[in-house]
Amino acid sequence: MKKMWKGNHAIAEAALRAGCQFYAGYPITPQTEVSEYLSARMPELGRKFLQAENEMAAVYMIYGAYACGMRSMTSSSGPGFSLKQEGIAYLCANNYPSVLVNVQRWGPGLGTLDSAQTDYLRDTRGGGNGDYRVIVLAPNSIQETVDLMYEVFDLAEKYRNPVEILSEAALGQMMEPVEFPEFKERTEDLGWTFDGTNRPHGRIANPDKPRMVKEKYERIAAEEQRWESYQVEDAEYIFVAFGLPSRTARNAVDQLRAKGQKAGLIRPITVWPFPYNAFKEAKGNVKAFISVESTDAGQLIEDVALAAKKEFETNIPVYGLFSGQKIPKTKEITEFCERVIAGQEKEVF
Amino acid sequence: MEIVFAGFGGQGVLTSGLIVSEMALEEGKNVTWMPAYGPTMRGGKAYSVVKYMDGMIGGPDMEEIDILVAMNQPSLEYASLMKDGGLIVINSDHVDDDVKIDEKYDVIRIPCLTLAQKVNNPKAANIVAIGAMIKKCGLFPPEQAKAALRKIFTEKGKGKYADMNEAAFMEGYDGV
Repeated sequence: MKKMWKGNHAIAEAALRAGCQFYAGYPITPQTEVSEYLSARMPELGRKFLQAENEMAAVYMIYGAYACGMRSMTSSSGPGFSLKQEGIAYLCANNYPSVLVNVQRWGPGLGTLDSAQTDYLRDTRGGGNGDYRVIVLAPNSIQETVDLMYEVFDLAEKYRNPVEILSEAALGQMMEPVEFPEFKERTEDLGWTFDGTNRPHGRIANPDKPRMVKEKYERIAAEEQRWESYQVEDAEYIFVAFGLPSRTARNAVDQLRAKGQKAGLIRPITVWPFPYNAFKEAKGNVKAFISVESTDAGQLIEDVALAAKKEFETNIPVYGLFSGQKIPKTKEITEFCERVIAGQEKEVF
Repeated sequence: MEIVFAGFGGQGVLTSGLIVSEMALEEGKNVTWMPAYGPTMRGGKAYSVVKYMDGMIGGPDMEEIDILVAMNQPSLEYASLMKDGGLIVINSDHVDDDVKIDEKYDVIRIPCLTLAQKVNNPKAANIVAIGAMIKKCGLFPPEQAKAALRKIFTEKGKGKYADMNEAAFMEGYDGV
């Protein structure tokens, strides 16, 4: 039977069931319960938990652990995640897998503790120096958080690339009924890790690297796009939203459909690679895309505009509903769409 | 169904939400529980939001409240987010009798702390309020509610208080 679990506790338990052997992190609201839970649970399971001296140290500790093939993760929130960027760039430079969790809070700098999606562009574009991408998955429920967490170590090792779970403050703090999968363990050798022999390892100074990077990201983009569509096929007004705003947007679709408007929703589950393929499912007379996001000035909307340009021959306007430091309410989304239909909103792209 | 439990930190409004979540879960509903979190403290502002339904739940935070359980006076500010005809359960020990409530809402006033003290369980004013709410709305059968109450506290390692909490629940239930 399902039990009520807090998002942050659930993601931690799911990581352990997925085989996480080592965790290093540094506390920050609204993510601290991830570390708190692991600090008690990992010793019980004979695994290693370490509260590092700071965020950057934590990411380098998992860098070292994964160099030896140990399933490892770190977690933080916006400001702490900024501090980890150097280490994430190094992980990517060396083709190391790893699992990162960002329970986002609002704002640049210290920001606030409010739920938001304001780290979208940083996290989907790499975030540190150099040309790299992290695979980023954005769940919209606690059960989905668990289910995705269960897969991410496999995904990270498959591509030798960091994978991030992009959560939100409210998703970390709230509770929902959850069921967990069984414990699993990877027993086979990854083939490239430091094992005491002198076998070939990742080489940074490889003249062929630009080509390899491009090929890898193209392969990930082709194979790993994930999304959920809702009433998209005949839709004229299509919301695009991930995480918690996607839930209120889905309810808005129902409300608008009940009023006779052909609304639909595309919910990216991978925000990198962005699910361009989802837009191919829109076969109706699409009149507008509406990006619904907990940002101040719009971030997801840039990917929506690129997808609209890539997949449609005509120029479809893209509007943005930006709810700042709160989850947009169903009623706000419905009313925004009605203003778009009435020509009272201005498109962003 | 959207229920908000609001009061001072320390009045047990987060636990109230957990108890009612458990009752809804027992019925096989989808449930969300959302706390006010962040820089709150004992004596500060606190609330939890519980939503449950058969279908998919949208946002976990307050949108259109069906029931507001106001354990203190400042909590009545959330009444502005209520549906017409919604219910406000007022803890009359911490809300003045002359506070005006819009007539479009159904109101019950119950001295939660006094009733909890009557059964020697002053910490359980929140549970008295739950008893009153459940009786008034018929949300769950009382036996199911009591079972959920017992389960929550047993899981928290506080099973020895189960009888006392049940007594507090019945004070609220019979007090309406």
